[in-house]
Amino acid sequence: MNWRKWNRWLHRELGYLFFGMTIIYGLSGIALNHYVARHWNPGVVSRSESISYPSALHRASVDRITIEEILEMTGERKNYKQYYFPSDDYLMIYLKGGHINVNLPMGEITVTKVRNRAIFSELNYLHYNKPKKLWTWFSDLFALALILMAISGIFLVRGKKGITGRGGLLTVIGILIPLVFLTIYLWL
Amino acid sequence: MQRMFLLVVLAVFIGSCNQTAKKESKETQVTEMEQVISATIEELLAQPADYVGKEVAISGMVTHVCSHGGQKCFVLASDGETQIRIVTGGEIDEFKTSLEGSNVAFKGVFTVLNKLETDEHVEDHDSKEHHSTEMAHTEAEKAEYFIEAVDYREITQ
Repeated sequence: MNWRKWNRWLHRELGYLFFGMTIIYGLSGIALNHYVARHWNPGVVSRSESISYPSALHRASVDRITIEEILEMTGERKNYKQYYFPSDDYLMIYLKGGHINVNLPMGEITVTKVRNRAIFSELNYLHYNKPKKLWTWFSDLFALALILMAISGIFLVRGKKGITGRGGLLTVIGILIPLVFLTIYLWL
Repeated sequence: MQRMFLLVVLAVFIGSCNQTAKKESKETQVTEMEQVISATIEELLAQPADYVGKEVAISGMVTHVCSHGGQKCFVLASDGETQIRIVTGGEIDEFKTSLEGSNVAFKGVFTVLNKLETDEHVEDHDSKEHHSTEMAHTEAEKAEYFIEAVDYREITQ
């Protein structure tokens, strides 16, 4: 068996074995990009809704009864945790899975509910290596396999579409693109 | 018979060593526990020099957890206004946003930055786009003092 046959074998087997891992890291990689660039937290979904209190409120007049009224109006009585005044004009009521922000002079009540985003919170859990322990070894193995797949991949095809032809040109372009970004954004 | 006697002596010796090690370990634990100073946030901020570099234990309601990675959170003092910044340390990866509104007990090292470090910290803080709005915890977020938590426990939800 020549080395090209071994190369194809390695590329194919690793490709199958790490298909799932590639999808996990690919999707969570996109999420991470947007987390950094747009402060978008892919792990959670946050929804806000506003309603009005019948009248303006004053910090001094807010008591347990007022809090209960607001909880009743928002349907969040069972989720109540605690409240405090971030400033004289604002009241913050903490809930299990969110909070209620009240603009006292305006009587404006904003309910924000936060929950884990399905799939992305799990993908991120793995991408950020939260499980640690054995996952560290498995994800290191995946990283090593990616390097092997990249190297074996460039030798899969021979001829003018291979590394000595068009494939080589594409490989050089793929290396140059990150170098151009580094030059523009980091080194200059 | 002589071999048996030697084995018994060896076993007793190993056993006693183990006991001594356990006793020493217990004593170390007691000493470690004694080194943690329980204080209120007001006490820490009134006499910071007394607590700098020491392991302290504080508790209070978490008002905010940084949503950009959960690397810091803010705890409200009993006066309802003063807050202190708690940053992750030790084995803590992040603070979950679900801590907001819960009473939490923290153990960690009380740290005070020097003038130069504080200026750098404030500059870094102000350079972040999501810090453009003044919040109730902004003062604590920019402050020179904070606690680097090594452990925390939710007291109530």
